[in-house]
Amino acid sequence: MMLGARALAIAGRAQVRGAATEAAERQAVGRSTYAALESRLNLQFGDRGLMERVCTHRSAAGSGEASNERLQWVGKRVLNLQVGEHLERTYPNMTVEMLQDVQHGSFGLSSLAEVGRHFGMQPALRWRSTVKEEPGVGATKVLGKAVQALVGAIYKDRGPAAARDFVRRHILSRPVDTETVLQIKNPRVLLAQLMQRKGMERPVARILKETGRFTSSPVFIVGVFSGVKMVGMGFGSSLRMAEHRAAKDALIKYYAKEIKDLPPASDQDAAEEAELSFFEAKDRERAQA
Amino acid sequence: MVSFRLPNVLNAVIKAHLDEFVRPAKPKNGVGAFVFPCRKLVFNYCERSGSSRAMLEYLQTRAVQFARDNPQIEVIVQPRPSRHPIVRAFYTNGQQRTKCVRRCTVDEIPEVVKSLRDHSGHRLRRWNKYVLSDTPSVRGIYSPFHTSEVHVISDQKPRN
Repeated sequence: MMLGARALAIAGRAQVRGAATEAAERQAVGRSTYAALESRLNLQFGDRGLMERVCTHRSAAGSGEASNERLQWVGKRVLNLQVGEHLERTYPNMTVEMLQDVQHGSFGLSSLAEVGRHFGMQPALRWRSTVKEEPGVGATKVLGKAVQALVGAIYKDRGPAAARDFVRRHILSRPVDTETVLQIKNPRVLLAQLMQRKGMERPVARILKETGRFTSSPVFIVGVFSGVKMVGMGFGSSLRMAEHRAAKDALIKYYAKEIKDLPPASDQDAAEEAELSFFEAKDRERAQA
Repeated sequence: MVSFRLPNVLNAVIKAHLDEFVRPAKPKNGVGAFVFPCRKLVFNYCERSGSSRAMLEYLQTRAVQFARDNPQIEVIVQPRPSRHPIVRAFYTNGQQRTKCVRRCTVDEIPEVVKSLRDHSGHRLRRWNKYVLSDTPSVRGIYSPFHTSEVHVISDQKPRN
């Protein structure tokens, strides 16, 4: 149990503040930083120095000190497994190349660095930039790797179930911006091919609404139809742009269709399910026969 | 005659660095898990000056209990000679807030500390919109008072 007393560092007891600048003092990192970080994430590691090790990049690790390299190696694989399973289950219509893009784009090092910043891990990191003149270069990658190392540490210290729970609550709960990640450059061609593959009627674009056609700022709202069913809708200042957006919308709606998970049924739910019946008393025996 | 197509270098480069082009999703604290925003509280005091007397008493009597009750916050106590006593809070979004407690009594300091602890860290700003949405629409949010349909649950057959 991390007591707050351990977190209370009476810093001025022995030393006199001398040449050390105020800024350096404020950013000083000690054992209390890692204890507070653990507590903020609701983790209780069995190994006391584990959180410090998670935040130590190999560029800062001395010869004797352990770095987060091995934890990061394991953690990256644990994290990518959870993310991959979740994406495969959530997006049934995506191709595997798209799934790979979504995983790389939305759950890659930059996104993990954002997660790490949200945790408050950035000031707790111990690392050194390879470029001496610019100490900030590489910060994002190092922070992203530290988050992977954190997942690895949870996996090793508290087990796979705890790691899965951590990833699900902190990382998989964030919304995925599928439109930016999928990067559809040729929506018309892709949509025509897709509809041909699915045996649907060929796409037809129709103007739904328009305003200001001969002015300097027209707005067209165009829908792309397959027969009588509208599959996508887009706006634009020209008909061509509106059609482009409508085709893109149709593709996003198809490929990024999400399956929203119901919460997994627990054993208690299963027992309750077996007992509960909506039939009235007279029909119940016949129903259970 | 061997013919080859040049690889599309730009697309390959973009795909390889996709995680830098895609803007990562904005953190929604509380969705999935809650991360306490206040990460560090620094108490600065002066041993000798009179304005720090209330702060010194707070540190001697109540600060340890506060630190025990809030294990997620790193509590630092530093002497800062010949200066007024301050409490400085650091938040996970990189912001800081400082409050000088020179004029506070011993009973007022815990309130100051509590307000700094409970702050989200975001700068004070004026919210001009009364609805913030991930899926904004020109038509606005749903209002049950502005629909023409009336939904009635009854055992009568619906009249078409």
